[in-house]
Amino acid sequence: MVREVVELDGHIIDSLILAKVLDLILAAGADYQVVDVEIGRTNVDSSRARLEITAPDDAVLSSLLEELQVHGANRLDAADASTVTTDRDGVFPPDFYATTNLATAVRINGEWRDVENPEMDCALVVLDDGRVRTVPLHRVRAGSPVVVGRDGIRVHAPSRPRGRSPFEFMASEVSSEKPKGTLIAEVAGRIRTAKDTGGRVLAVCGPAVIHTGAGPDVARLVRGGWVDVLFAGNGFATHDLESAVLGTSLGVSLEGGPPVEGGHANHLRVINEIRRHGSIAAAVDAGYVAAGVMYECVRGRVPFVLGGSVRDDGPLPDVVSDVVEAADAMRAALPGVTVALMLASTLHAIATGNLMPAWVETYCVDINQAVVTKLADRGSHQALGLVTDVGLFLRGLADQLCP
Amino acid sequence: MTALDWGGRYLMCRPEFFGVLYEINPWMHAEVRVDPEGAVEQWEGLVATLREAGAGIELQEPVAGLPDLVFTANAGIVNGAQFVPSRFRNVERQAETVHDVAWFSAHGYRVDGLPLEVHHEGAGDALPFGDVLVSGYRFRSDAASHAHLSRLTGAAVRSIELVDERLYHLDLTFCPLDGRRAMVAPLGWDRYGLAVLGALVPEPLLLEDEEALAFCANSVVVGTTVVMPGCPPRVGRVLEGWGFDVVVCPVGEFLKAGGGCRCLTLALDVDLGPRSP
Repeated sequence: MVREVVELDGHIIDSLILAKVLDLILAAGADYQVVDVEIGRTNVDSSRARLEITAPDDAVLSSLLEELQVHGANRLDAADASTVTTDRDGVFPPDFYATTNLATAVRINGEWRDVENPEMDCALVVLDDGRVRTVPLHRVRAGSPVVVGRDGIRVHAPSRPRGRSPFEFMASEVSSEKPKGTLIAEVAGRIRTAKDTGGRVLAVCGPAVIHTGAGPDVARLVRGGWVDVLFAGNGFATHDLESAVLGTSLGVSLEGGPPVEGGHANHLRVINEIRRHGSIAAAVDAGYVAAGVMYECVRGRVPFVLGGSVRDDGPLPDVVSDVVEAADAMRAALPGVTVALMLASTLHAIATGNLMPAWVETYCVDINQAVVTKLADRGSHQALGLVTDVGLFLRGLADQLCP
Repeated sequence: MTALDWGGRYLMCRPEFFGVLYEINPWMHAEVRVDPEGAVEQWEGLVATLREAGAGIELQEPVAGLPDLVFTANAGIVNGAQFVPSRFRNVERQAETVHDVAWFSAHGYRVDGLPLEVHHEGAGDALPFGDVLVSGYRFRSDAASHAHLSRLTGAAVRSIELVDERLYHLDLTFCPLDGRRAMVAPLGWDRYGLAVLGALVPEPLLLEDEEALAFCANSVVVGTTVVMPGCPPRVGRVLEGWGFDVVVCPVGEFLKAGGGCRCLTLALDVDLGPRSP
């Protein structure tokens, strides 16, 4: 349980502002205790109320406080954040502040500093020049001042605009009932806007992208400059390369028809040849790979991170098989990303969601509603889900963006 | 019918430099051209209409580069001989304040400022009704400004949350007509605001959504004359049934910037109540 005291003043009784604030606290799943109330004696006198709010966790409290501020209820305390110096590598002080992925500010010497790289489940480290950065557990070094406790930390919940907004088209977070064409056109519009305003677009791809025959559509998007960075695993890259070299995906011809004789080993043979070349880029340069998503990434110098897992065949030489290193490589590729497309990927979508600030517009496309829900449950509340076939989605998106 | 005890004298500003030069509300589209002659013609029409209804008009000098200075309703809050200048939310309009303060100082008003950390956009977000000041918040004004406003002016404030960005100022959702009646746009208010209204206004004229979006509430009331940017038949029938004369005054050029008749005027004869300094 976390607590905070807020104060309200003005004509809060007759304006029903106090009633509204109390309702909002309960609606958010929090509770309150009235610390004191001074009610004005006449119609003209103003009133003042002090409430102690109790919330189940920091995320609920932060977003509630943000909402209450709109109605004039402000936090009473405004102390500096406290820090404790870590005494060993890879270990935070016991009372470290655990971050959310929301925009966060920390008060140091009376000044609010924005956290440069919001990421959930990290700690906040104050640098020598006063900047504040999130640092994951394994990267903290002995001697770093780490923010502890809750004082002097402000978290800005993403605004939930009412009325017309760019997201009105997806008023519900997960949608399987809406006309897909309109949704795809809206997503294409958001991608165009992001690119026009200097943002970068991230695509996170699962193997189903290739199985559904959408590889060429993703390749078109990469070739058209609509993808600035790609995250995937060994599976996606392998099936993309297999289809580019042999025309099959897991041994099944993408042109249709029965499984190819001996096809079950196709992907292993392709991995083997890429390993012989030393890297995907070397295989492209040598002409062994002449099409597909990975080919377009190499040709267009679009950075990609392939994160490994325990079930990988091979793996491809480009796969970062140390998962902690893979996450660090993904982190390093994220700055500037403003739109993320999670395409039929569970593992990599959740991993990416964990690393991204909440302000990144995230579209999760999956035939399985559970993936979208899982992403939100793991804290990536900003993700908007489209429950649909990823192949249809990507064909539509590529048609919109690369006519 | 007890006519309003204010609304007989207005501050206005000739639209010499008016245009849609930036976009700070959903009605503004920088690519939309304002017809400068049409704007002047409509504004002069409004001045003539208000004078004919018996109102006195005072003028503020237009300033190059401040297209929205014509919307004098947002200059601040007038309370007897006191003027509380606005603290604009949008940087595009903040430069207007120095000119507003200069006008009111030159005309003998005492100027009292709100604290720097709160926003409030003047009569655009605050209109007197009965013995209280109804004030909007969320899009342009902060709820936290209301307590300061009350301390400065002595007014009892009713805070109303505005919930539809198209109706971003209170004066697009609320228009006091007399001692018992007011036009109100439920589209723009939440249920708490509507409950406050129920206790405050004995006979409200609830505007349909299309009527609200046609800026019906952005009207100027001079005695028994209601000067409106447009008047749907139903609204006209109700107002006339109550004994008002409706005059429609086309202000289409200003609607392109999200402002109607009320936005172009600031009532100078407002007294906010028992404890006014």
